[in-house]
Amino acid sequence: MKTFKIVSIIGFISFATISCSPERATIVQGKSGVQLWSETCMRCHNTPSPADFNDADWSTIEMHMRVRANLTADESKKIFDFLRSAN
Amino acid sequence: MKRIILPLIAMFFVSNLVAQQDSKPSKTQFMIRGYGSAGFQALNDEGEKESSFNNGTFAPIILFKFSDKFMFETEMEFAYENGELETALEYANAMYTVNKYITIRAGKFLLPYGTFMERLHPSWINKLSSVPLGFGHDGITPSSGVGVELRGAFILNGSRFNYALYSTNGPTLNDGNDEPEEAGILHFDNYEDNNKNKSVGGRIGFLPFTDSSTEVGFSFLNAKVGDKDSNYKDVSSNLIAYDFSFVKKVNSLGGIIDIKAQYNTSVTDDANYIEVHEDGDEEEYTFENSSDSFYAQLSFKPTMSASNFLKNIELVGRYSELNTPEGAEWESNVNQTAFGVNYWLSWRSAIKVNYQITDGTGGHGGGRIDNKIFTIQWAFGI
Ligand code: HEC
Repeated sequence: MKTFKIVSIIGFISFATISCSPERATIVQGKSGVQLWSETCMRCHNTPSPADFNDADWSTIEMHMRVRANLTADESKKIFDFLRSAN
Repeated sequence: MKRIILPLIAMFFVSNLVAQQDSKPSKTQFMIRGYGSAGFQALNDEGEKESSFNNGTFAPIILFKFSDKFMFETEMEFAYENGELETALEYANAMYTVNKYITIRAGKFLLPYGTFMERLHPSWINKLSSVPLGFGHDGITPSSGVGVELRGAFILNGSRFNYALYSTNGPTLNDGNDEPEEAGILHFDNYEDNNKNKSVGGRIGFLPFTDSSTEVGFSFLNAKVGDKDSNYKDVSSNLIAYDFSFVKKVNSLGGIIDIKAQYNTSVTDDANYIEVHEDGDEEEYTFENSSDSFYAQLSFKPTMSASNFLKNIELVGRYSELNTPEGAEWESNVNQTAFGVNYWLSWRSAIKVNYQITDGTGGHGGGRIDNKIFTIQWAFGI
């Protein structure tokens, strides 16, 4: 069990390190709010439409989801700015 | 705790009404959301059949945002079970965003131990009307805890990471004094600690692809679980979980493929427990106290179909199993297969039709488990 744990932790870290690259960084940083919205929310539940809530509610949901779903600050800002602009 | 929460909720209601009369937009925001479910089930337990309307649950959630950095969330759960209304406080915590990368939470929160309890259990998110083996009542995984937590997310050269690190009162060991048949089981719902040692736990999640389709996670929870004034004071438990998620719209299949899985292990130090025989004689016994559970779920929703009806249909299958220690009074080896067809009425509301087969040995009766259950559930978010 101990070895399994150590191997999986090392595997995890090396996989993570290999997968990071400057090219990928540019792709990820370049994503728009709409794109992130269509990729992110469905990881856990169906994707709500911009019209489902008003601006004030989206702001409350923004903080709730950013914390609960562990979204990065920059990505959640992009997504919720989009939702507020399109409702 | 309940006594404090109820007046708080009432107060929030009133303050919200007062705030709404004021036409200027307010900085503090208040929101009531939540979810509920209602259903019917037909059970065939080793040939014995029964059917009933059941599963009436309602879980209001209150979100109170004080500023861009500070927020309070609470969820209560009302369930109608065996003719009685049961209430529970699922969570109640305050969170404060320290900076882009760190948020601190304090109070009672859902634990990021794997992903099922924290992210997937609400009835409008869970694609089946039951939880997999190993979770919930009689489970081997914690669902919530009282304590503090740091969490956050960051992107490192194009890969997303998220983390959570917490300390809570932690699980307690049932030493069998009051319930000999549960000797060695861990209980997770503790408002008060039974010892000075706080549990430490956490999770790290990693999304290897730029489209966020895949996430793998590793969680742990370590704690001393014995009562401080007992023979069990040095007994510790070590829990580990691995989780996996893959969700992607696949054009060639015409819809969204969703795969979720989690493997949990729980190892508690060996200890001696006492068995009382029918004639009153007592006997000491011990066993290797390790349990594990696993589930994997696959679902498909043909979102790109031209038919409005098919678009809202979802097919789901899930396998789960639970193995508790050999030699314990609660020894069991159970597996379960569940299938479902869901019809989504909105993004947060579905009619779920499920068929579930559970098979194995052990459990409370100690005998064979063999039941088939058919359920229809209406789950809704508000
Ligand atoms: C990591 C999982 C996860 C992701 C990703 C996620 N959510 Fe959620 N979401 C949840 C959970 C869990 C709840 C239910 C909260 C509860 O009941 O305690 C929820 C609830 C909600 C609700 C109901 C109101 C509320 O705040 O409880 C809204 C609206 C919502 N999510 C919007 C979104 C949007 C928009 C996105 C995409 C940016 C998103 N979510 C991404 C897990 C997630």
